[in-house]
Amino acid sequence: MKFIDYVQLNPFQKFWYNFKNFFIALPGNLKKFFCAIGRFFKKLFVGIGKGVAGYFTRFVKGDWATKLSYIIMGFGNMMKGQIIKGCLFLAVEVAFIAFMIGFGADKIYNLGFFNNGKIGFIEKGQWTRNAVTGAREYTKADDSMQLLLYGVMTLIIIAVFLVVYFASTKAAYKVQQQVAAGEKPQTFNEEIRQFGDEKFHITLLAFPCLTISIFTIMPLLFMILIAFTNYTQTTPFFQWVGLQTFADVFQTTGGASKGETFIELTKWTLIWAVFATVLNYILGMVVALMINKKGIKLKALWRTLFVVTVAVPQFVSLLLMQQMLEGNQFGAINQMLEAFGWLPVKDGAVQYFDFLGNANKWIPRITVIVVNIWVGIPYTILITSGILMNIPADLYESATIDGAGPVKSFFSITLPYMLFVTTPYLITSFIGNINNFNVIYLLVGEQNSIDLHNAGYTDLLVTWLFRMSTSTGEYNLAAAVGILVFIVCATVSLMTFNLTKSAKNEEEFS
Amino acid sequence: MKKFLALLLAVLMLGSILVACGGNDNKGGSSSSGGSGGSSDDGDPFHGEDNIKLLVWAADKAIDVTKELCDEFKAKYPDKKIDITVQVQGEGDAAAQVLNDPEAAADVFSFACDQLTRLMNRETLAPVFEKDDVVARNSEASVAAATVGDELYAFPETGDNGYYLVYDKSVVSDEDAKTLEGIFEACRKAGRKFVLDAGNGFFACLFPFTGGLSLEGIDEDGTQKFNDYDEEKIVDTLVAFSKLFHDYSDIFLSSEATKISTGMAANPRIVAAGVDGSWNAAAVADALGDDFGAAKLPTINVNGTDEQIVSMHGYKLIGVNNSSKFPEASQLLADFLTDEEAQLKRAEVLSWGPSNTNAVKDKAVTDNVALSAILDQSQYSVPQVNITDTFWSPMGTLGNDLWKKDQNRDQLKAEFEKTIANIKDE
Amino acid sequence: MIKSYKARRVLANTFIYILLGGLGLIWISPLAYLVMHSFRGGKAELATTIIPQEWTLDNYAKVFNPPDPNVINFPQWFLNTFIIAIFSCMISTLAVLMVSYAFSRLRFKARKPLINVGMILGMFPGFMTMIAIYYLMKAMGLISMPKVALIICYSAGAGLGYQISKGFFDTIPRALDEAATIDGATRNQIFWKIILPMSKPILVYTVLTSFIGPWTDFILAKIIVGAQGPEHYTVAIGLQKLVGQEYKAQHFREFLAGSVIVAVPITALFLFMQRYYVEGVTAGGVKG
Repeated sequence: MKFIDYVQLNPFQKFWYNFKNFFIALPGNLKKFFCAIGRFFKKLFVGIGKGVAGYFTRFVKGDWATKLSYIIMGFGNMMKGQIIKGCLFLAVEVAFIAFMIGFGADKIYNLGFFNNGKIGFIEKGQWTRNAVTGAREYTKADDSMQLLLYGVMTLIIIAVFLVVYFASTKAAYKVQQQVAAGEKPQTFNEEIRQFGDEKFHITLLAFPCLTISIFTIMPLLFMILIAFTNYTQTTPFFQWVGLQTFADVFQTTGGASKGETFIELTKWTLIWAVFATVLNYILGMVVALMINKKGIKLKALWRTLFVVTVAVPQFVSLLLMQQMLEGNQFGAINQMLEAFGWLPVKDGAVQYFDFLGNANKWIPRITVIVVNIWVGIPYTILITSGILMNIPADLYESATIDGAGPVKSFFSITLPYMLFVTTPYLITSFIGNINNFNVIYLLVGEQNSIDLHNAGYTDLLVTWLFRMSTSTGEYNLAAAVGILVFIVCATVSLMTFNLTKSAKNEEEFS
Repeated sequence: MKKFLALLLAVLMLGSILVACGGNDNKGGSSSSGGSGGSSDDGDPFHGEDNIKLLVWAADKAIDVTKELCDEFKAKYPDKKIDITVQVQGEGDAAAQVLNDPEAAADVFSFACDQLTRLMNRETLAPVFEKDDVVARNSEASVAAATVGDELYAFPETGDNGYYLVYDKSVVSDEDAKTLEGIFEACRKAGRKFVLDAGNGFFACLFPFTGGLSLEGIDEDGTQKFNDYDEEKIVDTLVAFSKLFHDYSDIFLSSEATKISTGMAANPRIVAAGVDGSWNAAAVADALGDDFGAAKLPTINVNGTDEQIVSMHGYKLIGVNNSSKFPEASQLLADFLTDEEAQLKRAEVLSWGPSNTNAVKDKAVTDNVALSAILDQSQYSVPQVNITDTFWSPMGTLGNDLWKKDQNRDQLKAEFEKTIANIKDE
Repeated sequence: MIKSYKARRVLANTFIYILLGGLGLIWISPLAYLVMHSFRGGKAELATTIIPQEWTLDNYAKVFNPPDPNVINFPQWFLNTFIIAIFSCMISTLAVLMVSYAFSRLRFKARKPLINVGMILGMFPGFMTMIAIYYLMKAMGLISMPKVALIICYSAGAGLGYQISKGFFDTIPRALDEAATIDGATRNQIFWKIILPMSKPILVYTVLTSFIGPWTDFILAKIIVGAQGPEHYTVAIGLQKLVGQEYKAQHFREFLAGSVIVAVPITALFLFMQRYYVEGVTAGGVKG
């Protein structure tokens, strides 16, 4: 179909056209996706290769000062007048060597390379008596957790140092070339000034990148590594076990096996994410449309009624919801149903409805989805109100003239338009729902089912992960499940994200 | 030069972190001091420890009592310089915090005995150095609850961490309270509820326990061991419970134990009886006033014979942290905080039941209705000790299914077998 | 014809009013329940009827002036949370604006890869790393300074929340930057003097979301502050403690009263700033 044909379609057809194309293109996109991963690694290795090649070429072509910079960092810069820059390089080198001798080498040694994969050396603590005083003393087992953390930190520092080291050899060669070409090497002040303009992005990003690296990326790397150990918080000492943890997650023998639980919870997580996202999106939009309809008064009041729920902390509102939904006469909703006489009576006793009970796996699941609508609609209203106002009014008018009712014009005009504009938001909220801890955990708490391993039917993968780490301390399993959740999220979003127009045409709007 | 500043910053920051942590990374655990003190005095119970600084964790209710006891402890050793900080830490949280990070935790802390196995495996508990006296003065069961293998790992602090029957005397007579059937019948007459948190493993294990199930420690590979139980008898008991709950579905209410005090305080009262934990005793007594009744758990009729309901009974223990810099002083303090006098003081001020065999007979204990009820029940109980983490949730599931699902004997038998398999994680 | 059209519209509007009224009632009812029961008197701690039978101000009195600060120390918790929220909100806002501005307006080699890294990091479940963050804080010696540790926790990763405000910056015409560049302004000056003053909606949005965070988080906060005494708690940890097994039978109404006290200022702030919030989130949400 040519663009000109596409433009002539009515919005409803456009939507279906896109929808159909999405699924037709899916296999091809999957292929593209894997090719992209392949390309990424190819590029990575080629890049590394080029870097190494450049490293040696520069050494061969360098003068004696540049050559010496390969051992004494910053020497070349100092010789060519960039004193401060050179000194900084040298300071980094000195600091790094001091660090490795005083601390780092020992941490690497402890990482398990020299002790059959055991992290640390002392496996068990022991009490002994001091020969002189008679006081008892305790020799602790090595805390593998701490050793692993320090080990990871040290590895990161080594990596950072290597990058600086490469940069320093490059800088030495660059300044050599500049001198050879008769240019004046930049002064330190000039370089600093660049950070306010051409290199402003470095100034802006340095601080956030640093904190994110330390407090987000490093813990993440660390926990990813934990998935390959047998750390369960019940012993201070642990060791590398390779893929054993993942094998445990998928093990399907025995009563309530982890493998079956994983599959059941993955299915439910996906169902939940789809329903939670789609229902919140569509219903939220409907409410927003009603509020914004021409002729409806007190718009601010209506919007406020919904939006105040966002401001109340969820651990309060959801806990109250839990109490209101309780399956006996303490639950406010059951009290209300009883007062209206809507509850069945058997043998003179009122049968209360157990909204969150787990005798049937779908009742609590439906309840959490419904409650999530309560949680989610206000957000949708906030996000979509403004955009809905932007839909050209004449589109609706012509639809009305063509005899389309409100339902039809919603599906043929509003929805396609909104889908087009807010796809990134939809993807984000889908991912958010896969990781939606609060609604499930605060509303249902820790329920269990006889067929699931330490989980109930409403548990998502992420609440399962949380429960494994808090109630039984199985941090390695939790980490493995976390990695699997990531894989689910990444697949879903990469598949859809590559297709969205707004992602492709990023520059066009600006 | 690109990214140079950023990288430099990163290196410096990371470096400073590592240098900072180098400080508390005393490898080989030379954590105990006192060794350098040098004075080898045989008569010194502290074995040379001085300038002692201890951190004690106590539950908020017990904080004042603990502070007083610590002051007495200091007064007992006037020639030592002892500095004790008492900090609030909820009992439910203390063990979790110690497991999270033993080094940041208190030297001496109180915890419920079900956490003993985890704390011990994590190597956070120092064994009791001088255990003979502790073993002698405390009840056998409480000592068993603090023992793993041959070592005593903590000092028994209380003997009342369990549950018992509370009832509204205006509805349920003392005679009714002897059998579960009697209680249900009395409740039905008054149109009031009986509350038991059947979905909570701590309460739900009473169903199979009553049929003769019992715990026998943990295997080397971390699997829960049970006694040599008679499965048919347990299933019969489960059937009896299930039938009773279904027959009295208008009376029986499975919900958190907090509902008991609330339902009794409501106007008009909703709840007439329930199985409640010792930690809620004050709230229930407050709600009922003169109508407050408490007793050991009732019997249940299984195939014609009245069987006493068997509960799970826990103990609060005081442990000494392996990471303590003053292990000898910590042990002395823990010992002091759990001796007869201290336990009596807690019984008087806080109504906490003692584990000390002499203190149990004291008037302060025997006059307290709730306390005597729970200590009475402790004779018919399985000590809450050597339990794997996998125990609770399958038990809770079993308990919930007893009243929620309409199951026949075969289905219940299958469910019970599955519960055991899930606990053993087979 | 016209008349019937009008009649139809009136009918439709009436229908919408009724629907909105009903939905609004449903949406507001848990909050009404919360407020009502925070004033509930009587002996029962949990609710036994929908409308309380007795009313009292005692719960609030006990929260503002706690009889036993070891159990409830609400004023202190409130102060702690306020301090943490203020600082982490300032740092986070700055970080978010810097990152999103760089990604939106500046073009450099590492831009695309960094955006991708940001997206990837958002896909890991946050709880996975909490124990690692604890150990990290411990290694830095910050566990004994729980406020500082929490401020770092809440603001360190803030830069990752750049999407919405990047979307907002994307909508500001680039011609502005170009004109300024021709006039000789550096990018630094463009950021502070031109873009920032135009960014009130997104500024409000970012400030609001990062300010609310510390009031609602009780999981990470519990892990970081857990080993300290209750005087170091935030409101979320403190209130969450009150609904635990040990306390619920005696302190549930104080929990409700405390929750109302936390909710009221946040709600007020939120309603007050709603206009900007909507503007910011609309502009940003579309482009994401």
